[in-house]
Amino acid sequence: MGYPFQGIINRRSPHFPIILIVCLSLGCSGKNGMNEPGEKAAFKGQYPIRAVATVGMIGDAITRVGKGLVSVECLMAPGVDPHLYKASQKDVDRLDKADIVFYGGLHLEGKMTEILEKIGRIKPSIPVGEQLPAESLIRSEMKQGEITTDPHVWFDASLWAIVVEKIGEALAGFDPSHASAYQGEAQAYRKEILELHEWAKARIAEIPQSQRLLVTAHDAFHYFGRAYGIEVRGLQGMSTASEFGLNDVNQLVDTIVERKIKAMFIETSIPRRSIEAVQQGCLARGQQVVIGGELFSDSMGDPSTPEGTYLGMFRHNINTIVDSLK
Amino acid sequence: MSTTFWILLTACLTGIACGPIGCFLVLRRLVMMGDAISHAVLPGIVVGYLLTGVRDPFIMLAGALGVGIITAWLTGIVHHVGQVDEGASMGVVFTLLFAIGVILVSAYTGQVDLDADCVLYGEIAYVTWDTFQIGSTDMGPRAVWMLGGIVAMNVIFIVMFYKQLKICAFDPELASSLGIPTGVFHYLLMTMTAMTVVAAFESVGAILVVAMLAVPAATAYLLTRHLWFMLILSAVIGCLSGLLGYGLAALFDSSISGAMAVAAGILFLLAILFSPHHGIAVLWARRLLHNR
Repeated sequence: MGYPFQGIINRRSPHFPIILIVCLSLGCSGKNGMNEPGEKAAFKGQYPIRAVATVGMIGDAITRVGKGLVSVECLMAPGVDPHLYKASQKDVDRLDKADIVFYGGLHLEGKMTEILEKIGRIKPSIPVGEQLPAESLIRSEMKQGEITTDPHVWFDASLWAIVVEKIGEALAGFDPSHASAYQGEAQAYRKEILELHEWAKARIAEIPQSQRLLVTAHDAFHYFGRAYGIEVRGLQGMSTASEFGLNDVNQLVDTIVERKIKAMFIETSIPRRSIEAVQQGCLARGQQVVIGGELFSDSMGDPSTPEGTYLGMFRHNINTIVDSLK
Repeated sequence: MSTTFWILLTACLTGIACGPIGCFLVLRRLVMMGDAISHAVLPGIVVGYLLTGVRDPFIMLAGALGVGIITAWLTGIVHHVGQVDEGASMGVVFTLLFAIGVILVSAYTGQVDLDADCVLYGEIAYVTWDTFQIGSTDMGPRAVWMLGGIVAMNVIFIVMFYKQLKICAFDPELASSLGIPTGVFHYLLMTMTAMTVVAAFESVGAILVVAMLAVPAATAYLLTRHLWFMLILSAVIGCLSGLLGYGLAALFDSSISGAMAVAAGILFLLAILFSPHHGIAVLWARRLLHNR
């Protein structure tokens, strides 16, 4: 089998720079439309269907929805930060062999997002976060007027319930012969998540109004704050890759001291040093702030622990927050 | 076409693109230029983003290339005007540019996902899927095209100016007295370096590029006394590092580009030990035979 460009590479022709420039300008614009996941032909291979998810939360949803029919592998192990994830040789293999790929989208996977979109040309590759209704997403305007969307949608359980439903629809579309099984499981799981949502609202309401300030290392909790009525402050920007400035630390210290906030939180996938800087700053101003515990932000716990599932992870976060701020 | 094939092809092309250019850098003692450029491009990306307001890879690549060339040129200026050693002037220029980039990111682009790591550095693991299309025809991995182009440009450049580059590398004073514009060739070489580095790290990531620029060239330097053979050898060693590295990555389920860089290091180590001219093991064996 020949490759269309082999001759050109070997030719070392003087036209090569021109060819290259044409290729680069076409190739780099990256504006190729993504295929709709539903368009792909129905699944004909062997069961279980091989699904690959990027983060644990998505993997958890697929495991539940595709019970018995789908085997799920997650690329990002517990504790790995998806913004900074690097693929290993086996991860490449997994993506290569997958029948269907699910990812967060909304730029959660950083540079890899582009690749995941392009995999969509070969096999169904579905950005679950982008299936949510546009008006439910949190957007923030940049200084330059560009709008970016917060990808951490799983922290609003009512939104995550929609994602579960969408995963059910995607699997039903991919494997129509088991459509009712996927949709049934999705509905059952959705119900559990909505119960969790109500429970979380009730728990957060136990915190006195003035104390409802969630201070974390990076800005992952905006959906959480909106859904459960708690103000959220992150030290780093939305992507963990960005640095925080001295001003960010000082402003945060001011707020904490002013409102006499008792606790801050660290995240499992992020080093604690940044939040400790704030702690020191508060101490210097005579305000004792404890670190209330570790929250799961961009990944879940070890699969063998209760926190290894979405429900357990969510409960852990709520309990940790409520118990230390109350 | 299988994933493995594309990854290996990309690695080989990276080795062929970087090796020969790296040879000239090794001879001119400028080999860390690749590392310097890979850091210094950050302000170029940010300015490209600020000017256009979109995260378009083509604009950012253009910005990076511009700053890459500026880095190479500024280093030369600091070296000549400031009378500082080349290593030191590289250190001054690239840290300054990188720092400007960091300031720009934190001051103007607060929340957007913008840093070299995220936007510009490719990852060799993903090359198979990073294809580009003309119309609706899939033309294969973008990295292969890009690196293929760079390989062709470098080969043309080196073949055309082989004699001048050779004299400039070994004896700049002789080159001047022969009427070769050494300055022009220095800056041409630096421009080619910048283009190679920027294009390659957009495709395969920064670690691999810096490794492929420095290590195979240094290895080849230990193994031969002929420039033409050193150039070819460096490309071959680059390819070998890619193949060996992929094997290592599969063995340990690790980062592919990391493993390839390590493989290049292992080959270098072997060259230190077994080089026919001054390999440590070779000299030691020779002494042993001599004493007997």
